[in-house]
Amino acid sequence: MTTTTLTKSSTKGAGQARFNSRRLIDLLSHLYIWFCLLLFVAPFLALFNYSLQQGTSGIYTLSNYSYIFGSFTNNLLTSLRVSALAISINLLITLPAAYALVRYEFPGKPLLLSAVTLPLYTPAPVLGLGLVLTYNFSYGLITSIWGLVFAMVVGTFPLMLIPIVVALKDLPLVFEEAALCLGATRWQTYFKIVLPLIGPGVSAGILLCFIIVFNEYLVTLFVAPPSVQTAPLRVFNLVRTAGIQNTTAALAAFMQIVSFTAVILFFRLFGSRYLKGTYLI
Amino acid sequence: MTSEVSPVRATELGKAVGAGSRFRRWRPALLLLPSILVVLLFLFYPLAFILLMSFTLKESFLSPAGSVYTWQNYIDLLSRYAPNVWVTVKLAGLAALVDLIFGFPFAYILVRKIRYRDLVRGFMVFPMFGALYIAFGMRFILLPGGWLSPLFDLLGLQGVQILYGLPSVVFAMAIFTFPFMVMNIGAALSNVDPILEEASICLGAKSWQTFWRVLLPLTRSGVIAGLLMCFGWNVGAFAEPLLLGSLAEQRALAWTLYQRGVVQLDYGLGAAIGVILMLLAFTVNYTSLRYSRGALVQ
Repeated sequence: MTTTTLTKSSTKGAGQARFNSRRLIDLLSHLYIWFCLLLFVAPFLALFNYSLQQGTSGIYTLSNYSYIFGSFTNNLLTSLRVSALAISINLLITLPAAYALVRYEFPGKPLLLSAVTLPLYTPAPVLGLGLVLTYNFSYGLITSIWGLVFAMVVGTFPLMLIPIVVALKDLPLVFEEAALCLGATRWQTYFKIVLPLIGPGVSAGILLCFIIVFNEYLVTLFVAPPSVQTAPLRVFNLVRTAGIQNTTAALAAFMQIVSFTAVILFFRLFGSRYLKGTYLI
Repeated sequence: MTSEVSPVRATELGKAVGAGSRFRRWRPALLLLPSILVVLLFLFYPLAFILLMSFTLKESFLSPAGSVYTWQNYIDLLSRYAPNVWVTVKLAGLAALVDLIFGFPFAYILVRKIRYRDLVRGFMVFPMFGALYIAFGMRFILLPGGWLSPLFDLLGLQGVQILYGLPSVVFAMAIFTFPFMVMNIGAALSNVDPILEEASICLGAKSWQTFWRVLLPLTRSGVIAGLLMCFGWNVGAFAEPLLLGSLAEQRALAWTLYQRGVVQLDYGLGAAIGVILMLLAFTVNYTSLRYSRGALVQ
């Protein structure tokens, strides 16, 4: 009798201990995740913190942000314009390409896919150098904003293509077949059936392109004409020439806040699964 | 049910489907034409331009007297600029290792234990906004009077030595590519059945044995893909060595390329550096795609 109760209590004790150690491990895992996330966000938090101060004085003020509606306005508008143009061109070239890649069989498809996704694996300085040389000596695009826009297009259109391809692959053929059987033309089928159904995938592509183009400074540094200065390029130039300044931090923090808001909005509207398979997650 | 489809409808349907059949063969080519044109004009042509230019002496490619073709740029790269190549490879390699050490536990916990994955994904977007902001923010953190200066004082370190040196550059690069590592290992881990780990524990293996003998071999492809991908992305690092590094780190190839090719107009050497960078990134990234098996759509 006593032996059984003893063993019972001892097993219970062991279970308790295991339970506790398990909870400890769980707690530590959660802490680890939050520690890593803190490391991720730390550079942004530092920028944000100093953007709210005057110098490192610890006196908090919003005055740094007044520059965003002052001397930085032009840079921000340029950034937005370049992003909008690049995204529009991206849409125009990737929507048909994605449809062809998913809905048609043709020889050389894997090779073509590799060729089309090559820009993702080209280091930005190499792309920048190649473009600035060809713009200078072959295309004559060096003084126009279109050179910059096309540099952004070639760098980001695979990011637009991949989510659209994924969305199209997930879309069963029956909807299109039904529309065609009911007498819709191919154009009507595409614009009334396919495009709305792959909407989330297209939005994911737009989001990715926006956050990359809006924050791109490196290719811009190479190809931007002297008269065009996007906001990230302004940040880069100010950091290099003027060093650490709170107003620059305000601009950098503002850019990140805008981009992050776009991401959060997307997650709220569509969830994260449409970004799967892209390089974001 | 089938009798409800009238013969008229059926022929109309046949017409509608068959209408485009004459152009059907060429339709994919037509649809793909704009993107192929963009890639040809703005990627392949510039790359070919760089390749050709890398064999010409200084700015002779553009001189009216004709180009002077030479191997000199590549010989320079292997002799005079060998330290630059080495420091680039070293920084990218170290950053990839740091990513692996921090990333494996992170991916494991993310895949096996956590329910608030969307939140984590949301935070992991921050490095994607660009290395420039990371480098700039790290400078604020490491500056004298920054957040870490009490810690440095405690350890008896000089903050400025940390700020302008190898550790801060590697750390900033590691933050930049961390999501790639997590993505690759996470994809490999989610294909590993948790039962295998439980079986190994039940059979008496210690947790490190389970990790070393079961988990690591099964996720090897993900680890390799992650390492290569992080390396491939960091080979072209520009802002981190420039803003956070000492003179030694600032020799990284991307910055040398800008200095020689754009500022000093030594097109030949700049182009040769570009070719080397492209070859490095291309081989590494394409090997990584072979291992990553569906982490990225390909």
